[in-house]
Amino acid sequence: MFSIALIISIFIGVALAILVHNNPRLANVWFNVLNVVETIPELALFIFLLPILGLGERPTIAACIAYSILPIMRNAYTGLAYVSSEYVEIATAMGLTKNEILLKIRFPMALPLISGGVRVAVVYIMGIVTLGGLIAAGGLGVPLQAGIYRYDIPAIIIAALWVGTLGVFFDFIAWIIENRLARRYNPW
Amino acid sequence: MDPVSLRRRIGYVIQQIGLFPHMTVKENIGLIPRLEKWKDEDISLRIEELLTLVALPPDLFSSRYPNQLSGGQQQRVGLARALVMDPPLLLMDEPFGALDPLLRMQLQNEFLSIKTKLDKTIVFVTHDIEESFILADRIGVMHAGKMIQIGTPSELLFEPENEIVSKIIGSENKFKAIRFLQAKDVMIPLNNNCLIENEISCKETIEKMISNKIEMCIIKKSNKEIAQVSLIELLNIMELDRSISDFGNKLLIVSPDDTLSSIILLLKTSKDSMAVVMEKEKILGIVRINSVLLNLL
Repeated sequence: MFSIALIISIFIGVALAILVHNNPRLANVWFNVLNVVETIPELALFIFLLPILGLGERPTIAACIAYSILPIMRNAYTGLAYVSSEYVEIATAMGLTKNEILLKIRFPMALPLISGGVRVAVVYIMGIVTLGGLIAAGGLGVPLQAGIYRYDIPAIIIAALWVGTLGVFFDFIAWIIENRLARRYNPW
Repeated sequence: MDPVSLRRRIGYVIQQIGLFPHMTVKENIGLIPRLEKWKDEDISLRIEELLTLVALPPDLFSSRYPNQLSGGQQQRVGLARALVMDPPLLLMDEPFGALDPLLRMQLQNEFLSIKTKLDKTIVFVTHDIEESFILADRIGVMHAGKMIQIGTPSELLFEPENEIVSKIIGSENKFKAIRFLQAKDVMIPLNNNCLIENEISCKETIEKMISNKIEMCIIKKSNKEIAQVSLIELLNIMELDRSISDFGNKLLIVSPDDTLSSIILLLKTSKDSMAVVMEKEKILGIVRINSVLLNLL
């Protein structure tokens, strides 16, 4: 559930960033729409999604995607747009087309920033997936919610520790990847 | 014309070098060939060839990233990248501007030797007038967006079009140019009437000189031995039937690329006042130190 949500939102986020990059006038519209989505509380979003997607994993994944597109897309867009003009200029002068510049120069140079966005998204998704326990999505959210209902403090603590540890663990992995990319693609 | 394909046929080197930091040396150089869908082995052959040309051993450098190279090495890779498509035209925009003076001098020397190997038209933009004198065959002086004068270093130095050119070139300090000026810039081209190549007698030589109204002539005894004789000296010779090649004062031989300063040094040690400029057994002209020095002041 976690990984499906993450992969889909990376995909959509980067694709949107490229789209917006090619058509900068759309940038503000898109970012505003996503900002609005971001301000809706997760629980409220679930309520919107339940009638459409039913109970279980699907609305949870949809909510995860809705939330994590923004950080990924914003970072990807920033990364693509703010590649040092020096490189774009020399690439143009060498005879690369706009698309080749995007693919060969802008995208690889933006990778560290994109992965930073993904890292933020990882933490978002952790939280939402856990909340998905409320709407029968399964996962670690279930024991956590059950603990809350029964006022079972040890259960809450154990489940929360698990979620927290997982969150820290995933964030750590994402950090390693981000660092690697930063060193590989933007080595200063 | 399509700007992309036009740009791919111009090699471009800029001051900031602009190697892509996320690509290795190999990938940087091979970027355009790859986009042009060359075969992999052709690309790696070409990269090896170019790295060797710019004096970077391919096995040591091709998989490094730009940040693992020094400034000079980066600029050499930049040059290799510009040459990869074998463009007929190379555009270099202050390529050595960001380097320290010592390194700049070294790269300028390497550039000179690469230049002769390449045999391409190179447009080289610089603010450093000395650099232009060292590197260029012809220099165009631009001022306020207009080309004011195009000419060889010596033309700019000795016949500046106007005040601005002479100011930029520093004409009042012409003597500084002895480091850059070469024999071919300052020599007096040889008039064929003054050259005697065959074994003729002194008498014939004198007649020839009088009919051509010349005071002095050059005698080519062999490819290694050139001498000079004046009319007055000849008229003092008694045995007029002897061959001319028995007479004359031996001259120093220099090549057209020798710098003026080295020629002056040679002349100083040999205490001569002129040298003959020769290229591949052909006499091009003579350098008379007096006239050269007068021109420089």
